Amino acid sequence: MSANWIPGVPAPTHDDLNTCVQCGLCLPHCPTFRVTGLETSSPRGRIAAMRAVQEGQATVDGDFTRFTDECLACRACEAACPSSVPYGRLIEAARAQTEAARPVAERAVRRAGINGVIGHRRLTRLMGWGLAVMQALRLDRLAPARLRMATPRVTLRGMRQPLPEPVGDGPEAMLLTGCVMDIAFRPAHRATLHAMGRAGYRATTPAQGGCCGALAAHAGEVEEARHLARQRIAEMEGAQVVVADSAGCSAHLRSYGHLLADDPAWADRARAFSARVRDAVELDAPPARTVDERVAVHDACHHLHAQGIGPEVRRVLRDAGATPVDLGDGGRCCGAGGIYNVLEPEMAATLGEQKARAIMATGARVVAVANPGCAIQIRNHLRAQGSEIQVRHPLEIVD
Amino acid sequence: MTTAAAELADGLRQILGADRLLMGDLARNLYSHDGSIVGGDCGMVALPETTDEVAACMRLAHQAGVEVTPRGSGTGLTGGAVPLDGGLVISLARMREMEPVDVANSCVWVQPGVLNLDVSTAVAHLGLHYAPDPSSQQACSIGGNVGTNAGGPHCLAYGVTVQHVLAVELVRPDGTVQVLGGVAPDAPGYDLRGVVVGAEGTVGVVTRVLLRLTPLPPDVRTMLLDFTSVADASAVVQAIIAEGVIPAALEMMDRNMTLAVEEFVHAGLPTDAAALLLVEVDGTPAEVDTGTAVVQRVAARHGVRTVRVAQDEDERALLWKARKTAFGAVARVKPSYYLHDCVVPRTRLVEIMEVIAEITEREGVMCLNVFHAGDGNLHPIIALDRSDPDETERAMRAGDQIVRACVAMGGTLSGEHGIGVEKRDYMPLVFDEDDLQAQACVRRAFDPDGRMNPDKVLPTGTRCGEVGLADTQVPEGTWI
Repeated sequence: MSANWIPGVPAPTHDDLNTCVQCGLCLPHCPTFRVTGLETSSPRGRIAAMRAVQEGQATVDGDFTRFTDECLACRACEAACPSSVPYGRLIEAARAQTEAARPVAERAVRRAGINGVIGHRRLTRLMGWGLAVMQALRLDRLAPARLRMATPRVTLRGMRQPLPEPVGDGPEAMLLTGCVMDIAFRPAHRATLHAMGRAGYRATTPAQGGCCGALAAHAGEVEEARHLARQRIAEMEGAQVVVADSAGCSAHLRSYGHLLADDPAWADRARAFSARVRDAVELDAPPARTVDERVAVHDACHHLHAQGIGPEVRRVLRDAGATPVDLGDGGRCCGAGGIYNVLEPEMAATLGEQKARAIMATGARVVAVANPGCAIQIRNHLRAQGSEIQVRHPLEIVD
Repeated sequence: MTTAAAELADGLRQILGADRLLMGDLARNLYSHDGSIVGGDCGMVALPETTDEVAACMRLAHQAGVEVTPRGSGTGLTGGAVPLDGGLVISLARMREMEPVDVANSCVWVQPGVLNLDVSTAVAHLGLHYAPDPSSQQACSIGGNVGTNAGGPHCLAYGVTVQHVLAVELVRPDGTVQVLGGVAPDAPGYDLRGVVVGAEGTVGVVTRVLLRLTPLPPDVRTMLLDFTSVADASAVVQAIIAEGVIPAALEMMDRNMTLAVEEFVHAGLPTDAAALLLVEVDGTPAEVDTGTAVVQRVAARHGVRTVRVAQDEDERALLWKARKTAFGAVARVKPSYYLHDCVVPRTRLVEIMEVIAEITEREGVMCLNVFHAGDGNLHPIIALDRSDPDETERAMRAGDQIVRACVAMGGTLSGEHGIGVEKRDYMPLVFDEDDLQAQACVRRAFDPDGRMNPDKVLPTGTRCGEVGLADTQVPEGTWI
């Protein structure tokens, strides 16, 4: 019984795989299983596939890659698992394997976006300007649907508006400016900086800034993810508190300790850094204004499942006088999944449509969404359904 | 692949399209398992969405002479949904439609892939629920529940699946479709619906089920009792029922299990207790008060340490989550488990718990107990690491001895999980040759070719004898 993993690449470990007893309690919580009813699109099935490779009965082949590609990595299964199977860790390792097995040309295309653009702040900004110009000229309508649904709304005005100078007094709290957030969600950044000030911090932004590496890590590009993690740590570790206003980023910043655990020069710094991370909705900032309306709440998977954040979002809204309204879909993933909606457009569209309908059914005029991937997907699917419901970060709503 | 199998695959592809027929090695591997440690050999997987599609699949399998194993969510614990000889698996997981509720008759037709808990959730606004609640209810399917005649904590007061299935639509092995049972409380003729419930997919594929819906109780109280000895807890179980109170549920959990599950749910379970009882009484407020008083009085008589009464619905849900996720939490101890669900008369609970402790200690295996104490339905979970052949051997041996001990105390093999492969060879412990042959004859009446989930339930070698007895075998003077 020898494992068929590709050597020299991170792989799911025997111990992690052994935490699954195949009880199947994860099945109903998995969005892709709910859509397909296939064991092959369930967490238990994916773990069984990994175990088959581990036990030498299967290889990292086309089928294995398809089963892993289809996973949104929403980690809803992880929260439901009585054995606490570290599914997020397993799927990231499995993806490192499938990336290594992918044909060079295909891999190059997949990597171009993540490593070539997102990882570089200037290129990301440039891409933002490009998108803003295209959208201003309405040229974006020419793009294929799968790209359009995954593209954020970027305006020329938004690109020109700078972030505020340091806000407030007190210990320093630094906001991760990030990649996509920085070009398409500056209003959320501004609201978060204000909230950091109201929470008693001196709110600052990094001199350079850049991507936290979550997208790279989720796509199995571990080395790129480690590289970006070191950059962010070096740049931000001076602050007492590190804040992120994107659920995917705060969850990923909190995993730096694990990501760099094998790097003797960085392991301690990474652990200390992760311990100082706060998600924007955890700031306990008093609201800046009163909101007298019902607000639909979308729970980002990286909040609800990866960090157990859910009540916090509702508290932010309730403190301002708003009535948070749950979607009644059990917090199912909206199908954005980082760049999932570009790679698996059909599944993403099914889930996006379901989510848009659930939001519309609340009758609210605005939906609170604390993650850029979700916000893009939800906004585009709401518009596709003819709905004008506004998509806002919870702190933006109370700013 | 044989020519017959290749032709079958072509035919199935025409009906279902390439997306709903799985043939790849890895997919077949995944469908060769269920929630148990049994492994099998799956030839191909079909995923029909309608009764007509199932019937068409069954006709093709009939023509090809291929064996068929139906599958729901695959949470079963006896290998019932595991194909053994490379046959066709028909997964009903895509058949998830519920018809509108018949409120006047309190019933609803559902497709077999509908999940148990989803039924209760969907009818809660009508003040109704589907009473049988297997611990895996969030994941297990109605079709699977029908196959195994599933139970659950609340079956003590409400009865098991067969009492809640009014009718089934069955696709027979040759592809003909038949409805057995109906809304009327007692359909004329033989109760063939009762044969299908618990048949574990050996008589055909169930494609629609008419479920009885039960009113939600007006009041409910959930209590957690903790004891310093397993014997005291066991004694309380029979004493409560002897006092004339049938709680809605009466569950026991021993210390090993409590430790594992508390790590997941953080429900504040007393991890130093030797045994916990989870007792729920429901009914009108007056009934609930009376039941609660009896439970507390009996427990006090047997040295209960504390009685924790759930203060609100959240706390009640948390206590039930602790109970219902228990099996899955075993992986915190070992990567696999081997489990029987044998039954003893509840008057023998104290004894059997001692015997189980002796057996597992002698074999040097770790046993976690969590079970439906009220109806004597045990779940001794033996935790093991399958990569350790010696430990696996000892676990199997301990399981074997536990089953035999239960039967020797007047119990039986299975309370709710079914027989499947795992308990098949124990059937002669409770049935003699004639009984088994009679059961084989029933099975054969539905499935003359023996292609439906073969080698399950009845021991290999049990064949239906000639039904029409030869004249010479009939004793003289017998009236025929």
